[in-house]
Amino acid sequence: MRGCTAFRAGDAVGPGGKDGALRGHQPDMAPREQAEVVGSAVVGLPEPTPPLHDRESREWVRALRAGGAEGDAALARLHAHLLRAARHEVARRRPAMPDLRGDESGDIATEAADDALMAILRRLDDFRGESRFTTWAWKFAVLHAATRLRRRAWQGRELPLSPERWERLPALAPDPADEAETAELLGAVAATMRDDLTARQREVLVALAIDGVPIDVLAERRGTTRGALYKTLHDARRRLRAGLAARGQTAPGGAP
Amino acid sequence: MTRRPDLAALLGPGRPELGCDACFDEIDRYVDAELAGRDADALVPGMRAHLEGCPACREEHESLRALAAGAEDDA
Repeated sequence: MRGCTAFRAGDAVGPGGKDGALRGHQPDMAPREQAEVVGSAVVGLPEPTPPLHDRESREWVRALRAGGAEGDAALARLHAHLLRAARHEVARRRPAMPDLRGDESGDIATEAADDALMAILRRLDDFRGESRFTTWAWKFAVLHAATRLRRRAWQGRELPLSPERWERLPALAPDPADEAETAELLGAVAATMRDDLTARQREVLVALAIDGVPIDVLAERRGTTRGALYKTLHDARRRLRAGLAARGQTAPGGAP
Repeated sequence: MTRRPDLAALLGPGRPELGCDACFDEIDRYVDAELAGRDADALVPGMRAHLEGCPACREEHESLRALAAGAEDDA
C-alpha cells in the first residue's frame, strides 16, 4: 500500500504524519506527504497493484500537460466532468436541504468544480494510474461539493457543543428488552468519559458521535482540520474502549 | 439530549483504520477495485474500518462509487 497513515485501535498515533494536511479550510492545498505507517495494521500487506496507466488515463494526463489549444480543451473537458460530479453530489444531498435554492445549489456545484480543477492541476503529479483518471479526478469534486454542502447545511447554526452531556448518558431510556444491560454499559461509558478522556476528547466525541456535527463543520468552527479532528476522535474512542474493558464491559463490535 | 446515543458512533470500528487524509488518497483506487470485483479491502487495508467510523468519508465514498458505477454503465 502506498502512502497511508494507518490508525490502529490500541496504538497511539503520533502527532506528526499527514493528519490535517489535506482537509482543512483549503482541503487540497497541501502537497502529498511521505508515507507514514503507524501500527501493525500495514505489516505484511500485499504489494500494491502495479500502475496500470490505461490508455484513456494516459491521454488525460498528456492532454492536460500539452498546453496551448489542446491543453485548454482538455481543461474544459475536465471541468465539465468535475461539474457533473459536483452536481451529482448536490442532487444526492438536496432532499435533506429543503432551504437550498436552485441558484445556490448551482453556484455550489460550479465553485466546487472550480476548486477541484485547481486542486487537480496542483496535484497532477500525484496521479499514478492506480485508478482510472476520472475516478481520481471526481474524488476532488465530491470532496469539495460535499464539504461546501455540509457547511451550508450548518450555516448560521450554533454548534450544540455541551461536552457535559455525557454525564446524562446513563439516564437515557434504553430499549426495554435490554434496559438493565444497556444502562450499565452507558453508565460505564459516562464514567470512562469522565475519568479517562481529556476535555478536548470529550468535546470532539460528543460533537461528532452524539450530536452529529459534521467533521468538516466542526473543523471549520474550531480552526483545525478534518484529519486532526479524526485523530482526536480516534484517540477518544480508543480510550473509551479501553476504559470499558477495564470496567468489565464488552464494547459492541471490534476489539476492546 | 433526548435520544439514546449510537454506541457504534461513540465507540468506532475498534480495529485498525486509515485516517481521513489517507482515505482520500486511496479512495479512488478502492472504488475502482470494488467496481472491478477485486478484493478492495485487501488492496487497501483499514479503509473499510475508516468508512464505518467516519460519516463524512463514508458519504463521499458512496457518492464516488455511484459516480464511477454510472460511468461504467455509460461505457
